[in-house]
Amino acid sequence: SALYSMALQDLSAEYLDESPIEFGQIRVVQSSSAMPSQDSMEPTFSLPIGLPLSSSHSVPLPFPMSHGTTTLAFIFQGGVLAAADTRSSCSGLVACPAAQKILPIHSHLVGTTSGTSADCALWKRILARELRLYQLRHGRRLSTGGAAKLLSHMLQPFKGTELSVGGQQCFGRERSGPSLYYVCSDGTRLKGTLFSVGSGSPYAYSVLDQGVQWGLTVQEAVSIAREAVFRATYRDAYSGNCVDLYHITSKGWTRRNREDLKEEYYREKERQRQKHKA
Amino acid sequence: MALFEVSGFKPELRGKITAAGQTHVVDRPNHYTFGTKTQEFAVPLGVDPSGFLKSCSQDGGVCIDLNHGTTTLAFKFRHGVIVAVDSRASAGSYIASKEANKVIEINPYLLGTMSGSAADCQHWERLLAKECRLYKLRNNHRISVAAASKLLSNMMLGYRGMGLSMGSMICGWDKQGPGLYYVDDNGTRLSGHMFSTGCGNSYAYGVVDSGYREDMTVEEAYELGRRGIAHATHRDAYSGGVVNMYHMQEDGWIKVCKEDVSELIHRYRKGMF
Repeated sequence: SALYSMALQDLSAEYLDESPIEFGQIRVVQSSSAMPSQDSMEPTFSLPIGLPLSSSHSVPLPFPMSHGTTTLAFIFQGGVLAAADTRSSCSGLVACPAAQKILPIHSHLVGTTSGTSADCALWKRILARELRLYQLRHGRRLSTGGAAKLLSHMLQPFKGTELSVGGQQCFGRERSGPSLYYVCSDGTRLKGTLFSVGSGSPYAYSVLDQGVQWGLTVQEAVSIAREAVFRATYRDAYSGNCVDLYHITSKGWTRRNREDLKEEYYREKERQRQKHKA
Repeated sequence: MALFEVSGFKPELRGKITAAGQTHVVDRPNHYTFGTKTQEFAVPLGVDPSGFLKSCSQDGGVCIDLNHGTTTLAFKFRHGVIVAVDSRASAGSYIASKEANKVIEINPYLLGTMSGSAADCQHWERLLAKECRLYKLRNNHRISVAAASKLLSNMMLGYRGMGLSMGSMICGWDKQGPGLYYVDDNGTRLSGHMFSTGCGNSYAYGVVDSGYREDMTVEEAYELGRRGIAHATHRDAYSGGVVNMYHMQEDGWIKVCKEDVSELIHRYRKGMF
């Protein structure tokens, strides 16, 4: 037990002095055993342990990144509803027709991703780790606003680089009710009741503006969200395939089965054909 | 202008009136060129418009960003064609007019919408109106929508690459029934059931795609057109003002309404505020 208390003391000492995570702040390199020897005059990104960041000035991207997606989320009386398509594109190639763009962070917090999928997945996991550490240290969960603030501060050192965490939305349902935040890699952090992010967002926005109200039932909200994503995939080339729907209530998030939008498209065509016949 | 060409006017006088740079008389007996063979603009010698514009759109230099700041939409349905446009004319971030007229009434059976550079649209569509009138006078029957849109698209092709900015929809009712064509400053000409142009077009597409059915009643179609423009102006900064809506019927077009967009939005979103 002596060993245990000593370890605890070390941990607390580390925790009090300085955050063990450094997020690529540009500063003169301190001599550290973990870092490769570099010219001390040259400002570089400091190499945090465990994070795969470049060790030089901004590395040119291997190919132009494109941010094709449609994600949306809105608040209503039944909680928060989030929907996204599942197409992962890479300038004209559909790299994955079954990607997952809504990533749960913990039981009451879900984030949607748009932008570079690699960046989004990484930062989601970093956020999840930070939130878990906060919960362990303080014995309570960080609020949604706090989580959004944490994410936007973590992304701030990368402002101006080609990091694209696009629009990530964190929302959850806690003591104060549901909340929805939009966080972006250029530093934007907005609280709101309806957001849609991605190349297909204009198409989804107008469908949502028509139908979203506070007093929707869960069924109605689900059908509006599905219709909005469908309309966006109908017109936007970079969105498509299936739609994911997550519903967050005070009891946590639930995920509906992934629905293929091809069915919806064929159903609509069938309806048109029936009308023409009649 | 049309009468001037058709009536036998003295060529000497015409030579004094026509633009400098034209050395010969413009087509009179040969009326199939429709003003596309000879350039109607006096372009100064030695200037290369396409080269100049290329330098303007490169990074690092002066960037002339030609955005089509508007929302216009048109769709065909069983009872004709609905045309709905907003009325905001913007110059950068300044709203130059909140009651601009973006629909040109070419003749009682043809309408043209305008998006892009207001000057370009107005000039070329008025030129199109002149050619349509000439066609009717020469051939004793009205020009078809397909032919009118083709005229406009050929005019655009004549000046391709020189910086014109125009996105227009030609709507009409001719012997083939209701007609709707989209014509672009690149020379694109597409026939279709539904188009929306301008930077607010994606918002309008979402709404109209959602509510469109071929067998709508007339009232439903009016409501759909109004909603499309209203929601687009709600989200797009460069669209606003009033919704001007026209209905192209078999015996000509009628102007349906001119409703303020903010009132429409308040009506639609009553449960949301």
